Amino acid sequence: MSSATQDLKLTSQSRLKLLKTLRKSPAVIIGLVIVLIWIVLAFSAPWIAPFDPLEQHIPDRLQAPNQTYLLGTDELGRDIFSRVLYGGRITIPAGLAVIIIDGILGLVIGAVAGYLGGIWDEIMMRLTELFMAFPTIILAMAVTAALGPSLMNAVLALVIVRWPDYARLTRGIIIENKTAEYVEAAKALGGKNPYVLFRTLLPNSLAPVLVYGSLDIGNAILIFAGLSFLGLGPEPASPEWGRMISIGIDFFDQWWMWLFPGLAIASLVMAFNFIGDGLRDLLDPRMRT
Amino acid sequence: MLKRFLVKASFLVSLFALLLASAHAQDEKVIVIGHAEVAEAYDPAHAYSPTGGMINRATYDTLVTFPDTDASSIEPRLASSWSISEDGLVYTFNLRTDISFANGDSIAAEDVVFSFNRLKNVKAQPSFLTDPIVSVEAVDDATVQITIAEARPSFLSELTNSAFSVLNAEVVMANGGTDAADAAETDAAMDYLDQTSAGTGPYMLESWSPQEETVLVRNPNYWGTAPYFDRVIVVNIPEAATQKVALESGDIDLATDLSPDQVVQLEGNDNIGIFRGPASATHFILMNRDPEIGGPMANPLVAKAVRYALDYQGYRDLWAGSVTPGTNMWIGLQGAYGQDKAISRDLDMAKSLLAEAGYADGFETTLSYPDFTFNGVNLSTNAQKIQADLAEIGITVNLNPGEVQVSLEEYRNGQQGFAYWFWGPDKLDPVDFLEFLPGGKVASERTKWTPDMASQEILDLIAQAKIESDAATRTEIFNQLQDYAQEEGAFAPFSVPAVQTAFRADIQGYVWHPQWSLDVALLSRAE
Amino acid sequence: MPIYQYIFRRILFAIPLLLGITVVAFLIANAVPADPINANLPQNALNNEKLVTAFREKWGLDKPPHIQYLTYLRNLLRGDMGVSIKTKNPVLEDIRQFLPATFELATYSILIGLAMGISFGVISAVWRNSWADYLVRVFALIGVSFPVFLLALVALSIFHAKLGWTAGPGRLSFLVKDPPHVTGLFTIDSLLAGQWKTFRDALSHLILPSFVLGSFVSGIIARITRSSLLEVLSSDFIRTARAKGQIEPKVILRHGLSNALIPVVTILGVLYGNLLAGAVLTESIFAWPGIGRYAFRASTSQDFPAIMGISMLIALIYVIANFIVDILYFLIDPRIRYS
Repeated sequence: MSSATQDLKLTSQSRLKLLKTLRKSPAVIIGLVIVLIWIVLAFSAPWIAPFDPLEQHIPDRLQAPNQTYLLGTDELGRDIFSRVLYGGRITIPAGLAVIIIDGILGLVIGAVAGYLGGIWDEIMMRLTELFMAFPTIILAMAVTAALGPSLMNAVLALVIVRWPDYARLTRGIIIENKTAEYVEAAKALGGKNPYVLFRTLLPNSLAPVLVYGSLDIGNAILIFAGLSFLGLGPEPASPEWGRMISIGIDFFDQWWMWLFPGLAIASLVMAFNFIGDGLRDLLDPRMRT
Repeated sequence: MLKRFLVKASFLVSLFALLLASAHAQDEKVIVIGHAEVAEAYDPAHAYSPTGGMINRATYDTLVTFPDTDASSIEPRLASSWSISEDGLVYTFNLRTDISFANGDSIAAEDVVFSFNRLKNVKAQPSFLTDPIVSVEAVDDATVQITIAEARPSFLSELTNSAFSVLNAEVVMANGGTDAADAAETDAAMDYLDQTSAGTGPYMLESWSPQEETVLVRNPNYWGTAPYFDRVIVVNIPEAATQKVALESGDIDLATDLSPDQVVQLEGNDNIGIFRGPASATHFILMNRDPEIGGPMANPLVAKAVRYALDYQGYRDLWAGSVTPGTNMWIGLQGAYGQDKAISRDLDMAKSLLAEAGYADGFETTLSYPDFTFNGVNLSTNAQKIQADLAEIGITVNLNPGEVQVSLEEYRNGQQGFAYWFWGPDKLDPVDFLEFLPGGKVASERTKWTPDMASQEILDLIAQAKIESDAATRTEIFNQLQDYAQEEGAFAPFSVPAVQTAFRADIQGYVWHPQWSLDVALLSRAE
Repeated sequence: MPIYQYIFRRILFAIPLLLGITVVAFLIANAVPADPINANLPQNALNNEKLVTAFREKWGLDKPPHIQYLTYLRNLLRGDMGVSIKTKNPVLEDIRQFLPATFELATYSILIGLAMGISFGVISAVWRNSWADYLVRVFALIGVSFPVFLLALVALSIFHAKLGWTAGPGRLSFLVKDPPHVTGLFTIDSLLAGQWKTFRDALSHLILPSFVLGSFVSGIIARITRSSLLEVLSSDFIRTARAKGQIEPKVILRHGLSNALIPVVTILGVLYGNLLAGAVLTESIFAWPGIGRYAFRASTSQDFPAIMGISMLIALIYVIANFIVDILYFLIDPRIRYS
């Protein structure tokens, strides 16, 4: 995490370069295409899914993939294919929500701490260290134990455990740019503190936070699925992927019940990692291959 | 030279040690049972769950008991004989004199008095079983007299419950136990009795690591036929699939919680024996009559609508070998309504009942249930089916799976408004059903369906059911009560799954009992 | 800066962090539940006035929050983390019982992860852009993208259920007794006691979970090794060594790898945290009696004393691991001494 923070030194100049070289990076393109496919599939699930994801067909339970049920059925005769499609409607927004909320939270906290410096900076840094000392999933488990398991609480738990990365990243960039010429210029022209912060400094931090978010979204999805696998996420009937895999503990032999949702998570996370890695390669020549 | 010798010598020593170790291992006859543990305690005065019943069957004895496979008659156990006064109020038991506890102390009537009074006074879950009892007295060392408040034909079969296990009073008192009236606050023997037993059964409890394993060792002073196995290890394996794999690989000898789907897969396997039979557990929905807790579910019309909304055929298809119960009276009991008298799904009827209750557009509610697999039935699967069934009459059900112990406490404290549970009879007698009628434990305490909500006519029937000894009249009374439950009840029983146990082919003597499920002392291994 | 001064400074920095960790634990255990008595005592004890009073006094619940916190801290310093509702044992005792299992699993996993990750990283960097490189990179990608619980299920269903090559869930077969307790690590204790059968059994149980967890971290290690080795190999002094005519493997091993491993060392602390997180999932699938599974059970049964004890313990391990890593880093990389 900290190494990623250091690697992401993005300036407005490199943003231009980014757009130019994006086309040259096959990894990013492949990743984008897969993510796009998933978004389209999730969005159009109500039209393309052959069944309602909650519709039970008890007589057809535990069927291996066949022509009616493309990816087989589960223990209540629900269509796995439809459920996998609908699962994207839960996981993708949940992952995005975590990244967006943490991105905003991190930008604000990190920017204020970095800009004000001194004691505020010190407090923020110690606070982030504190949160980072608790391993993500354990802290998330404690939070869901206190609040009760649900989709919202799982997202909330992830927001609580992942904001420090974003705050530290933003803080680093703000401190680096604080003395930059254009900031000095803005100050010299009579800009007030909040104005300088929000009009000149923040926009420059936005791009690195976005890139870090694209790297982090895979992580967030994995932890979300993990919580859900443990029963700390959305409710049992939900076609959430992690939840669907958890039934696999009871059904080793019916591999289709857990393998397909598993592959769905893996392909989506892999695509996000392609994008994140590609972007990092483009932005950080040392990492380029 | 010396070095070579040392190497050789150390090799020989370790080889010898190895031989010793393996020889020791072969001497001891051990059986490993894979089981999904549901136990809050093993202290007989506190234990009130399936695992506790199975373990205490092995470590303790009761005054009287049932035959090995059913509840067709009452058999002597600690009591060699007994007599009942003409008015049916005084029971006199003659204890066997050749029996000693596992530590060698001989058993006396005072031990029975202590055990029964302690059960009553600790005010724990099974304590209600002592409600009919007025007094327990030791007439002499080998005679116990129990007086009950009113004639109760079911009393002897109630005494077979492992809650009425006889404990070594001296040992229990030495470890903080008491049978005094304030035992609920002052008795401190539970921790001790959860880790070791103080009984007369064929086995002794050696250790219990909750949610890990329970170990029993043979009682050297056992008064009856010595059991075959020296050591019984009950390993907690909550997942049915893991139990199946462990059984196939021979890691365990017997699996108690396989699902019907898995047993089908094991059928062709020569190394595995299979037992199938109707289970004692009735799976049911509970609808709390307190509107503060139950919400719309407190309305008897809504409860009836739920009964007509469930897809009973679906549950039968889901669990191979299961049947649909007519009421909460276990189908194995005399006069219980079986599948032929069960309610059939009628969505129109359910909808019109809902409309009559003022919920024509349905409502939203939360179903609480323990998140685990019991005897191969995954409760979460049924809960999702209930959710889907009720969606068809416009009731939106949110699922609230809970950890077993947590959910169990909420249920017992009557805090759940709409819940899914299962019930295995405490008493293998029709009176067990009275727990599900006003005044009974499950109805009044857990569902707030109290006597003031029932007509005098019903209350009279319930009172008569407890004391009626004429078989035909008794059946007639229970028929009326079952009709009443189907109309007015606060419960929706929907499935009695089959029990399926699989074991290694060399395991002999497996029988299933509706009360204690498995008697480990009857098991042996072919040699 | 001499090493002892550096250590002293790091300890000084760690103290407020440790205090902060106790504050967070205190807040979650005592401030979040509506009624801490309800949350911390089993239901049957709630009716017992004596137990409730004793609990209230012990944790100072009738006092203002800051006094409560100090009471909490004092109990903590005595090693008293409260009693687990679920197991009824003191939390510290439970930790002592469950920690060795996790420690053994984590150690094997990290060894496997390092061995696989470093060798893959080296192969990939040395034969850059070859088919081997692509294979390694795909593997690394799978390692970081596949949910660890999916890997665990696949591994269990293939190698245990289908092929029967390895043992299944648990640390030992049910009939095998625990080796005499020395370290708590079964593979070591069984060897110390000369129990070969137990050793083989323990190893057979360890293989699947530690490979699953190991491949989970090896992906990360392979990526870092590869990129840092590439960087080192293109640096001046390697070029000089090559110019001197030294043969390739020697160059890579002697100069390249030792320098390239610095970034691997620096992320070891973070990695250990990841590993413990992965352990929660892996342990619950493999029925591994470690603190991960203990923490999971605690969180589903609202066993606050237990979950707070575990959170604190793991945070502590994390702080210590990072402390050791920093010292290692200090020793390896001379640059830091001037900062």
